[in-house]
Amino acid sequence: MGALALSLRDKRIAVCVGSGGVGKTTVAAAIALARAAEGGKVLVCTIDPARRLANALGLASLGNVESRVPDHAFREAGLHPAGELFAMMLDVKRTWDDLVARHAPDRARRERIYQNRLYQQLSGALGGSQEFMAMEKLYELATERDYDLVVLDTPPTAHALDFLDAPDRILDFLGNETARALLLPALSAGKLGLRVFQLGGAYVARTLARFTGGEVLNDLSDFLQGFHGMYEGFERRAGVVRALLAQPDVGFVLVSSAAPLAVDEALMFHERLHAESMPVAGAVANRVTVPLTEPGAPLPDAGRLREALGRRDPGGLAERLAATLAEHELLAAADAREVARLFEAVGAPGVVIPRLESDVHDLGGLHRLAEHL
Amino acid sequence: MAGPPLLDRRLLLVTGKGGVGRSSVAAALALLGARRGKRVLVCEVNAQERVAPLLGAAPAGAEVRQALPGVWTVDVTPESAMREYGLMVLKYRTIYEAVFENRVVKYFLRVVPSLAELVMLGKVLHEVRAEERGQPRWDLVIVDAPATGHAVQLLRTPGALLDTVPAGPLRRDAQWMHDLLLDPAHTTVALVTLPEEMPVNEAIELDEQLRVLVGIPRGCLIVNAVPEPRFAAAERAGLQAMEADPPPLGAAARAAVLQGLRAELAARQVARVRAAIDLPVLVLPLLAAARWDRSAVERLADACDQGGAPWARSP
Repeated sequence: MGALALSLRDKRIAVCVGSGGVGKTTVAAAIALARAAEGGKVLVCTIDPARRLANALGLASLGNVESRVPDHAFREAGLHPAGELFAMMLDVKRTWDDLVARHAPDRARRERIYQNRLYQQLSGALGGSQEFMAMEKLYELATERDYDLVVLDTPPTAHALDFLDAPDRILDFLGNETARALLLPALSAGKLGLRVFQLGGAYVARTLARFTGGEVLNDLSDFLQGFHGMYEGFERRAGVVRALLAQPDVGFVLVSSAAPLAVDEALMFHERLHAESMPVAGAVANRVTVPLTEPGAPLPDAGRLREALGRRDPGGLAERLAATLAEHELLAAADAREVARLFEAVGAPGVVIPRLESDVHDLGGLHRLAEHL
Repeated sequence: MAGPPLLDRRLLLVTGKGGVGRSSVAAALALLGARRGKRVLVCEVNAQERVAPLLGAAPAGAEVRQALPGVWTVDVTPESAMREYGLMVLKYRTIYEAVFENRVVKYFLRVVPSLAELVMLGKVLHEVRAEERGQPRWDLVIVDAPATGHAVQLLRTPGALLDTVPAGPLRRDAQWMHDLLLDPAHTTVALVTLPEEMPVNEAIELDEQLRVLVGIPRGCLIVNAVPEPRFAAAERAGLQAMEADPPPLGAAARAAVLQGLRAELAARQVARVRAAIDLPVLVLPLLAAARWDRSAVERLADACDQGGAPWARSP
């Protein structure tokens, strides 16, 4: 069992974080497969899987439904896991709708919210929405199901920290008393505020209407009124969800490539986790070019390789081999520096996944990747 | 799309998903513009600044700052753009400050769909239009525009506003912004991708969204970090057998096998994206660099300056 799998052994929840484009979804699926192979009942919750991986996991088009990866799929890949693997794709909109239904005082209020244009945008696309719902869904899975391990993939964002910050932004959006105080008086027809505060509020609202169009502010007002009284419920819920993330049976896995920018993001996230006492289970450096020669050993020139090739050298092969090896080792050295930068800061176990093993489309590929974990 | 060569336009948006090397390409194009004697401004959008550091300069922050001869950078944030734009519209700083306290501005920027996008786009487009002593302040404005859902929304904002906002100063603003964005004489988009399956999928999707939802002139597709085919198919089988040889030949053969495989997979993706996207394609080679710094970006700029590139000088 690799260092990361070992580190995750006592965990019931693994959260894969990192910037977009590093292969988080694939790593999350591989972590889940590795545990299922050992005998656990495991769920991987993905956000935005590539079509082929989704197909491999049996995720054709189902949202928010936990579907079991069938035995025959494993057999076809030559695998015999001792446990079971389930997979699901997070449906952000549906998760929002469920959350609203959970908190709305009655059906009429629920429907009013569902109809609101702003709600429809928020639940579909507003920044932070995916992250908020990923956390919400994680809480549900952790508390209402009996998986040995739930692995959460996180949304692909430019800033890995969005996963922690975005839910608070959404919460603020839902419950901001300043906004309600500003908007509601201003939108009552014909009222000129008598107090400075109200006057300010009306002025702000009218000014913003110049930027955005009056309709948007009406939608916003209706939205806030819709959510009135529900905010505390949301806030409490978000609070327990956050508390969940600080439990000892949770492990954050920092996923990065060897690209300096991805490492920067992972390190920022690590600092935050540390600051919030959230447990880091390990780090994964994905798509790494690994060295092929001994460190410090001089690289062979074309002459040396031509000797070694003997009669096997048709035109120019030795030159191309020398150049290719030199390039490879240059890339490997650059990657090694970045990986070291990541692992040194993280402290928890780090695993390297070589580039070739990262191109994964099916269970067999996931298994090969999982072997590195 | 018809129009002047891409680097001779006033606004060049470099877009693509995270991890494709967008910032490096934006920096390289800025260098190329500067080499041709242009005054170039590179705008990042609410980002962890990358372009200035890539060019070996300090991050600019919200104020335009020179990185190199000919190249300036700035990070456009919603707060700074809102303040500038708000002040322009409201004209009186005292009123702006009295009303738009930070807390309130932050809330609305978050909450009102597209407001953050609008003010940031407004800031960028104002720079495109800005003049000093009767001359354009910038010959070329390059925008490093991350292709999240936000980027498409950003570009749609003026058009969407025209649907909802009544006549007045904001509508006038929305109108000229919309016109500028869609004008092939002034504006173009370069989509950046990698020769890998998911990035290509995303580039195809993004291209369609830009074409169908926004209507912005799409100038070219840039495929970044493409390994050149170096070993013929016939050689590769032999090389695989040589991997078992003792070092150094074994190691060199292994490097070659990996390179050949990578080049083959990349070629397949390049072919796929060429077939799917109807744009001129610039293929940038995979560059092996010890450190991804200014000299690496200069090499990338050299690679962009190929004959036949979408911004090659017309004969």
